[in-house]
Amino acid sequence: MTTADKVILVLALALIAALYAHFWAPAPMAESARVSSAGKPDLWLALGADRAVVIEGVLGPTDLEIRDGRIRFRRAPCLAKLCIHSGWLASDGDFAACLPNGVAVQVVGKGMGFDAINF
Amino acid sequence: MEFEVTREDIRIAWLTALALGLYVLEMAFPSPLPGFKPGLANIVTVAALVCFGWATAAWIALLRVLAGSLLAGTFLSPGFALSLSGALASLMVLGLAVSVSRKALSEVGYSLLAALAHMGGQIGVAYCLFIPHTGLFKLLPVLMSAALVFGLLNGIIARSMTQVLLAK
Repeated sequence: MTTADKVILVLALALIAALYAHFWAPAPMAESARVSSAGKPDLWLALGADRAVVIEGVLGPTDLEIRDGRIRFRRAPCLAKLCIHSGWLASDGDFAACLPNGVAVQVVGKGMGFDAINF
Repeated sequence: MEFEVTREDIRIAWLTALALGLYVLEMAFPSPLPGFKPGLANIVTVAALVCFGWATAAWIALLRVLAGSLLAGTFLSPGFALSLSGALASLMVLGLAVSVSRKALSEVGYSLLAALAHMGGQIGVAYCLFIPHTGLFKLLPVLMSAALVFGLLNGIIARSMTQVLLAK
């Protein structure tokens, strides 16, 4: 190994350390959540203040809870309660839906794109 | 119509065949993660760069990507696009390294640079074309760490290869 090789190696190690620091840092808190309810315009909820929100779904009232910059379904009139079991939605892009009830919640940060494109 | 086959053509063909052999051998290894490959074919690229110059190395790398995709049945697939973009990125970085470093780097340094550039180019293209989601970059540190390790190992192998080649 020449001296230049060692310089490259040190730079590469520094680059990788910087990548770990940058991309593995905790995700920034989301700013708002978009609530879609069947047949109604989307509702935007800021996640800054803790509160409870009631959404009127197809089956009946649905309770959403906002706390510490996160949002979750707390009570829903559906059978499977998958929406409630989805738990807290905290980071950019997190999504949960109560399909029988026609209510969907997505946490939205700065930009939204596709999750993935498959061939 | 006849083509004149130069000594260099034959050399490129032999070295490309060697790189292809390594590429096919490597396909037999199971990979724990997508993108997690030792990149043994790059040993040949780096050795050719040191012994015969950048143009030969570029021919070998690009022919290997093309012929390798035909062998693997991935020609013009997303995997081919990633493979090609990785090869192009590493060739660009190698070209830059050769002209800037003026023989200060050995095979180990070249291999390291090539491996990191290969991975960086692939992830960049994967992000632009196939998975435009920032979650992809969570993989970047891990894959770059792998590239560092494999780049070092390949460089050491390439170094012993060039010593044999140049001794002849």
